[in-house]
Amino acid sequence: MYFNSKSLGLYCHIPFCLSKCAYCDFCSVAGAGRRVKAQYLDALRKEMRIMGKKAEGYVVDSVFFGGGTPTSIGESELKRLIAELYDCFYVLDDAEFTVEANPATVNKRFANTLKECGVNRVSLGLQSAHANELKKLGRIHSLEDFEESYHLLRDAGIENINVDVMFGIPDQTAESFLNTLKYVVSLRPEHISAYGLQIEPGTPFFEHRDTLVLPGEDEEYSMYVYASEFLSENGYGHYEISNFALPGFECKHNKKYWNVDSYLGLGCAAHSLFGGERFGRCEDIQQYVSAIKHGALDSTVVSREVMTLEAMESEYVMLRMRLGEGVDKKAYKALFGFDFDSKYGSKLKNFVDGGFVISDDLSCRFTTDGMYVSNSVLSSILDL
Amino acid sequence: MSYDQKNIRNFSIIAHIDHGKSTLADRLLEATRTVAVRDMESQLLDNMDLERERGITIKARAVRLDYTAKNGEQYVLNLIDTPGHVDFNYEVSRSLNACDGALLVVDSTQGIEAQTLANAYLAIDADLEMVPVINKIDLPSAQVDRVRKEIEDVIGIPAEDCPAVSAKTGLNIDDVLEAVVNELPAPEGDPDAPLACLIFDSYYDSYLGVVVYIRVKEGTIREGDRVLMMATGAEFEIVEVGTMEPFGLKRSGVLSAGEVGYITASIKNVRDTQVGDTVTHAERPVSKPLPGFRAVQSMVFAGIYPADGARYGDLRDALEKLRLNDAALNFEPETSAALGFGFRCGFLGLLHMEIIEERLEREFNFDLITTAPSVIYEVALKNGDVIRIDNPSNYPATDEIESAYEPMVKASVITPQEFVGGIMDLCQDRRGVFLDMKFIDSGRVELHYTLPLNEIIYDFFDALKSRSKGYASLDYEFKGYEKSDLVKLDFLLNGENVDALSFIVHETKAYGRARKIAEKLKDNIPRQLFEIPIQAAIGSRIIARETVKAMRKDVLAKCYGGDITRKKKLLEKQKEGKKKMRKLGSVEVSPEAFMAVLRLDEE
Repeated sequence: MYFNSKSLGLYCHIPFCLSKCAYCDFCSVAGAGRRVKAQYLDALRKEMRIMGKKAEGYVVDSVFFGGGTPTSIGESELKRLIAELYDCFYVLDDAEFTVEANPATVNKRFANTLKECGVNRVSLGLQSAHANELKKLGRIHSLEDFEESYHLLRDAGIENINVDVMFGIPDQTAESFLNTLKYVVSLRPEHISAYGLQIEPGTPFFEHRDTLVLPGEDEEYSMYVYASEFLSENGYGHYEISNFALPGFECKHNKKYWNVDSYLGLGCAAHSLFGGERFGRCEDIQQYVSAIKHGALDSTVVSREVMTLEAMESEYVMLRMRLGEGVDKKAYKALFGFDFDSKYGSKLKNFVDGGFVISDDLSCRFTTDGMYVSNSVLSSILDL
Repeated sequence: MSYDQKNIRNFSIIAHIDHGKSTLADRLLEATRTVAVRDMESQLLDNMDLERERGITIKARAVRLDYTAKNGEQYVLNLIDTPGHVDFNYEVSRSLNACDGALLVVDSTQGIEAQTLANAYLAIDADLEMVPVINKIDLPSAQVDRVRKEIEDVIGIPAEDCPAVSAKTGLNIDDVLEAVVNELPAPEGDPDAPLACLIFDSYYDSYLGVVVYIRVKEGTIREGDRVLMMATGAEFEIVEVGTMEPFGLKRSGVLSAGEVGYITASIKNVRDTQVGDTVTHAERPVSKPLPGFRAVQSMVFAGIYPADGARYGDLRDALEKLRLNDAALNFEPETSAALGFGFRCGFLGLLHMEIIEERLEREFNFDLITTAPSVIYEVALKNGDVIRIDNPSNYPATDEIESAYEPMVKASVITPQEFVGGIMDLCQDRRGVFLDMKFIDSGRVELHYTLPLNEIIYDFFDALKSRSKGYASLDYEFKGYEKSDLVKLDFLLNGENVDALSFIVHETKAYGRARKIAEKLKDNIPRQLFEIPIQAAIGSRIIARETVKAMRKDVLAKCYGGDITRKKKLLEKQKEGKKKMRKLGSVEVSPEAFMAVLRLDEE
């Protein structure tokens, strides 16, 4: 976090999918018509122009297209959108440029288009290497689809690929998760995200939660610990609670979140930390579209928080602690003017003694065990 | 109507629970047109919501009925309702002392039950004339003749011509009113003698202060009189004197010997008007109070804590409000290392305790944590002192104790014969000593046992009901203290003693109880970051252990698209949840989990 930094991350939300997964509670709709998509992308480009003006003087060093499924809008629309983005913002040549992709939506032309547009990182949602688990999750791709996409992207020259996997999914066992990891590692992607499945209200999983056979608490824990060990052994650093990367391939964009750096979120349901404020836009696509059409972009803001120094401080700890490197005590003092230990030392003692946290002269960070129960630790030490 | 002692009848209705006492009272009110049928709300005398729901009378009530008898004379009938539960035996006996006669209601389908007998004996002790009323004769299973015989055989009062009614349908209700007038005696007492009134109930009214229900035994009481409460020593000037009508008080200005009514005197505290006390004139007192007063004695104690520690002050206010109406409720502040600030409350019995808890929860909106109920133990120390223990935390160390004593009761259980075996096993299991067994009739048996009170408060009643398919009835009276091999059982979480979980138990029961509670703790304490050893101990000896495994699951939310606010809310929620947690030693437990551990659901 640098209060006067002029670097900026851009997030761009594409709320469309080919179909909705059973666990997903993100803002996205399946089966939207061409018209809705066109209207939304129109509005999104307008927002880019408006926000681009506000971000004059900022240098964009990371771009992330997420969703939904950004690739579901088709290559020409995606191309147009990216062109607009370059037009409105000053994007560095070596900026990290990520697009999320569903394995079922990537073909050769698309892979090449991405490369041509300056996309240099693709995040593929595999989730599981087992057909039965994919089916349970409601994923529309097969393992073969995934593998094909992966190679197409490589062939097109994408040299930084992330693969998402999930643990804690119905019918999964520690062994099947291990096999998924082994499979992924054999492809040598630069980055792997491993998320624990959560059953969120409003999803099909939530409605049928009583009938789901989920791995037990201990088994899920062993999956997590196993992922950490196995991936480390294979050269992937556990640099963030759910993220692993080969050296030098940690996701720059996501690290902005954990570093409390500035980023702008474009599109519905997108969140920003910009100009000393956090704000989030409405999830409703129609509301977003019509507000922009009527020149009322501000009316799409549904949450806004002015970041006081106190709020910054607790968020800084909350977010930095997600990183393997944790809170750098020197940097902390430089930012906030007092010692980290004077505020947290005694609160952390139990957790240090219990093997959840390591706190030395330089930094304070979670152990692997600690990362897994980070919420419990953080909620008891932070002023919230 | 003018004062005419010979045309007054003061009577109670006594019965076993569910034998139809309140329904009969309703019918009497209707039949005397004290209450128009259209105003009839079922069970008018039970006016607390709780009473109506539970179908039991918690506090005594009284109402005046005007009745023109078949002989053409006008009568004033004062019906004094009595609580129907063994917890309130003392209140029953005081209510009966305010009467000259009683109607003993017996369900014609059930016959005599434990409380029928207990109440009949109380009435006999109070020298009351009794008229049996056989109820529920509309039911196909009614056995009127059998019950008549049973009443004569078991209680020894004539029942051959007694009224047989259906309070539900109103059948033969007139017979009851005629019996009250003809069979029950008029009160005696000299209106000019020094004043002696028996207090049989009181309640706090925010406008009038304490409203005291009295029976004038001797003399005359008027508004403006200066009176003395003989047991408490409090003096007051009477503001209002009157009678109780079904829909409120009716001021009359004067009450004389034989009459029943109320007085008010701007009294702030119901403790000054204890049930059983004698009201006399301050200037011209009677030489000695009416017999039978005893200060209410709490038998069962428990710690009551607000789940939200910040509401300690509110809880005090609420308890004080309840105490205004309930002289039997005692409380003192106590502190528990585990539960924070709360109150050690004394109750007449388990039902009384449940009622207080329920009223606190309903009327005052509390979430409560209640410790396991305890009785008062007496401990003779090696240094010669004898101490009384109402809180297990204060139990002395084993090496200081010379001997320990626990309260015993004489229990009477009436049950259909087929369940006798199971009930004897139960009593045996609860350390009961068999006294005798009598056949009431061909099918039913009355068992007498001496039982430790602490076994009775530990779910005995539920166990009795379940072993007798609900047929057995229980009554008990306090018998005194007996020497006993008691131990204090402590529970340690993470090696730290949790005071709120300690209880005193007979040595032979300690092991089983320790295991059970340790298991409950294991099942109810949510997994936490650290493994939690649970130990049950007597002194330094560990007799049971369990372990709560360390938490393995936390939410690894994907912080998607930089939505930090959502993440923060999640942590805030988690923190909020923690505030409600109670620290049992170093272990966090939700109030719900704590209550689940303490709930007495054996078997």
